[in-house]
Amino acid sequence: MKKLTTILLILTLTISLFAQTTNKYTISGSVRDSATGEELIGANLFIKELIPATGASTNAYGFYSITIPEGNYTVTAQFIGYEPKSVQIALKQNTKLDFTLAENTTQLGEVVIAAEKKDENITKTQMGIEKIDIKEIKNIPVLLGERDVLKIIQLRPGVKSAGEGNSGFYVRGGAADQNLILLDEATVYNASHLLGFFSVFNSDALKDVTLYKGGQPSEYGGRLSSVLDIRMKDGNDKKFGVEGGIGLMASRLTIEGPIIKEKGSFTISGRRTYADLFLKLSNDSTINQNKLYFYDLNVKANYRLNDKDRIFLSGYFGKDVLGMKKIFGFDWGNTTSTLRWNHLFSAKMFSNTSLIFSNYNYNINIEPAGTKVKIISRIQDYNVKQDFQYFLNSKNKLKFGFNSIYHRIIPGAITNESDSTISELNLNNKHALENAAYISHELKPTALFSVEYGIRLSSFSVLGPGDFYTYNEMGETKDTASYSSGEFVKTYFNIEPRINANYIISANSSLKASYGRNTQNLHLLSNFTSGNPTDIWIPSSNNVKPEISNQISIGYFRNFQDNNYEFSTEIYYKHLQNQIEYKDGAKQFNIFGNGNELIFNENVESQLLFGTGRAYGIEFFLKKKYGRFNGWLGYTLAKSEKKIEGINNGEYFPAKQDRTHDISIVGIYELSKKWTISATWVYYTGNAVTFPSGKYQVAGQIVNYYMERNGYRMPDYHRLDIGATWQRKKTEKFESSWNFSLYNAYGRKNAFSITFKEDPNDPTKTQAVQTTLFQWIPSFTYNFKF
Amino acid sequence: MKKHFFNLSNWLIITLILSSCTKVIDIDLNSVSLQLVIEGNISDLPVPYTINLSKTVNFSETNVFPPVSGAIVKISDNTGNSEILTETSPGIYTTSIIQGTPGKTYTLTVTSEGKNYEAVSTMPFSVNIDTLTIQEFCNGIQGAGANNIIAEYINVQFNDSAEINNYYRFIQINNRVQQDDIFLVDDHLQNGKTISNLLAHTINNFQPGDTVTVLLQTIDIGVYEYFRTLSQLRSAELSSSPSNPLSNFNNGALGYFSAYSVRSKTIVIP
Repeated sequence: MKKLTTILLILTLTISLFAQTTNKYTISGSVRDSATGEELIGANLFIKELIPATGASTNAYGFYSITIPEGNYTVTAQFIGYEPKSVQIALKQNTKLDFTLAENTTQLGEVVIAAEKKDENITKTQMGIEKIDIKEIKNIPVLLGERDVLKIIQLRPGVKSAGEGNSGFYVRGGAADQNLILLDEATVYNASHLLGFFSVFNSDALKDVTLYKGGQPSEYGGRLSSVLDIRMKDGNDKKFGVEGGIGLMASRLTIEGPIIKEKGSFTISGRRTYADLFLKLSNDSTINQNKLYFYDLNVKANYRLNDKDRIFLSGYFGKDVLGMKKIFGFDWGNTTSTLRWNHLFSAKMFSNTSLIFSNYNYNINIEPAGTKVKIISRIQDYNVKQDFQYFLNSKNKLKFGFNSIYHRIIPGAITNESDSTISELNLNNKHALENAAYISHELKPTALFSVEYGIRLSSFSVLGPGDFYTYNEMGETKDTASYSSGEFVKTYFNIEPRINANYIISANSSLKASYGRNTQNLHLLSNFTSGNPTDIWIPSSNNVKPEISNQISIGYFRNFQDNNYEFSTEIYYKHLQNQIEYKDGAKQFNIFGNGNELIFNENVESQLLFGTGRAYGIEFFLKKKYGRFNGWLGYTLAKSEKKIEGINNGEYFPAKQDRTHDISIVGIYELSKKWTISATWVYYTGNAVTFPSGKYQVAGQIVNYYMERNGYRMPDYHRLDIGATWQRKKTEKFESSWNFSLYNAYGRKNAFSITFKEDPNDPTKTQAVQTTLFQWIPSFTYNFKF
Repeated sequence: MKKHFFNLSNWLIITLILSSCTKVIDIDLNSVSLQLVIEGNISDLPVPYTINLSKTVNFSETNVFPPVSGAIVKISDNTGNSEILTETSPGIYTTSIIQGTPGKTYTLTVTSEGKNYEAVSTMPFSVNIDTLTIQEFCNGIQGAGANNIIAEYINVQFNDSAEINNYYRFIQINNRVQQDDIFLVDDHLQNGKTISNLLAHTINNFQPGDTVTVLLQTIDIGVYEYFRTLSQLRSAELSSSPSNPLSNFNNGALGYFSAYSVRSKTIVIP
């Protein structure tokens, strides 16, 4: 606590030092798209009369605020892909100034604008950040033509795909569950459809995608590796519009429009796959009555009550459905909803209050003749979040707030509505309360130096009711303690300091450094590659301690050729505590056991081992931002290891996401006004994997003998995807385009899995068999907008 | 419940692997130092019982597992009886006196190449099989397509005893050929009830007149854990961290020592 007081004291002191004002006024307002009225997130504003140029950028709600001395100024607003706009003002009082920017209609290559502020990556304090431009991804080829932000993000350095065609990702050596995935601030617990081949994010419904790989701002917490902050579109508040696409896998449709012109708007966006429609064509009655599809529905509405208040309501509903006749059904999906209230206490003080609900569940129904068994599992969050942003002056900005989440987990419940030899089973539901408060200060004492430092205090309390077990070394129950409803079983407190600093070396280069601590109190138990719908989240408990990470990173940022090229390199080291692995031969939480029966193990915590981890690496990124040809090149050299008593003799061993080299190249070329072609190439060395070293015979069977966990490597992976977009028609009223892509263009046989078994032709031998999933997958999509 | 879940995960995988293909590849695997493998059984059947000792080989070698000769192999029980086994052929050690009795706890000790290995197993009381029935399945669903039966399985029904923590292993023998599958059940969700367990064997190609015998072994938790983890390892194609089965031997020996009691029942396919 002493540490905290000191930090707060320094914070107050520094603010007061830089906060002496005389005759200063505030310019504030929003930056929007002139055609749709959508707020632009992260648009830059600057005032060229002030030397060095003073600026601000819009927050997640498109709001900005700059406080400067009285005077005559030119305020310029700009945003990538938009025409910049300047306004002259005589500042004599607090002034509200809203900008509307028009999208660049000319080809990227022809844009020649004053290059004053294209160097955002140099001047920005934050490092370890990846922003995905939703417009840019329309041209990048992907599996089966389904545009997917999670697959595009995997093409950035430090971010690795969880596997062939998989939307799961690993950030800087962290596990897949260590990414906080937020959709309009609501946690998405399972971001994948169909075993991970597609993500739940329909890119038509999205406005902004930002990934923090390190130095996470203090307002975020709860996961060790990264924060993926995804914001949905608000909808056009000027006119109605329809946008959609018809593809091989799925079709999409978005409708948006004003509720009251320029005061409120809505958007509804849906997507559904239709693989199951092909099943209907089958003559086989056991196939044509089967179900297999997923859908996503995004809805959002917002309304400006007045100049100071605005309300947003957004929701996401998605589901995967798998069924065989009426006999068997399996579905899973996420639901999130967010109610937000933006309020301006003054031109300098922005507030957002959010009420958030999020849910992930799976259901299994079985009702063949005479039996009716239901299995459910669920995780739910009820979340209150309050954030304040105080734009003190051009050198100081404060952010503070709190967040309180009530988690409710139903790990697994079996109900039986018929006579059966199986008893009903209700595992203890789990309840937890997660609280956090944070404050951070962004300070620009000189034109060349900026720092953002803050602290996040978090607590996690496990609540009754329920029985809580302690285990002996053998994993047998040693003690049981019963708690009643609402009783605190165990509370963990953590102090999470965060700091980002930037020193501008020259007009086109800077050096940045960051340090951050993160904690995680919800842990995903999985023994499969990511995307298994029955993986379970367990909260920290009397047996499971919060995971903690400490990460430091240093980066060098350099722009070339008038900011046309961006180069950056970042080096990081991360130390992880209380990492979780299953024991050898663990009785996992839920497995399809012998005969594929679903088995629940309520004592799963006795099957876990805990230890430390470390991850370090260096990332290089070179991007060409403008011109007819643009794209990027990323390279990562990294290592991720764990050290856990009881695995590999307690020595460091590679984590399963450990991958040494990872290269991705993305190129987009505008051939003509009609045609754009693109290609991506990825290459990475294999992940760590467990292979047998020997074999022996037991019960007349050959059994593989394993020496160590994750002691081998999968073969190297590489793949080229190519794509082309044909802009068929583009008028004010109607736009249409065709998108063609070829996944794995040279048909590389990449290993999805390698299994070791008896040679079917020669029982005296054993062999290694590699499974390859996708070779030459062509696809096309028709997109329209009116 | 087992029967309804059969095929679920297969289904997921089959449906989603849109254009998968497989090929045999060469992988450079490390060589291993040879490990001792012990497979030992004692039951309530009449003597003799045998203990097999062999060694591991490298994965790339042919399936010839060197027998381990010249070991001292001893079985003793908790009532003071013990016997040193005779090596009747290379790597095979046989008892002649000691009789397996339910309720007794047996210790197997093996001394080989200067190292001692020990496992302990308690023989539970036997349980009779009440009925064996044949069940027909289509796509993993019972009775789903009466016209196109694609699988037939044996269902075993028996009464679990009143005390908790009973563990069972089934062995299916089709026309005197013992099947490879490991079938296990415990009374965790069904203590003291009638347990109905489907032997979801990969392929049963039953013909009228075939005989099917099912052995019901009652085993202790150590043996159950060994076979559970062995079975998990076998079906673990997609598991990211397979590991060796949990043996009840100490000192790093592979394999198991099981003291079990057994009952059987046979049916003729109509």
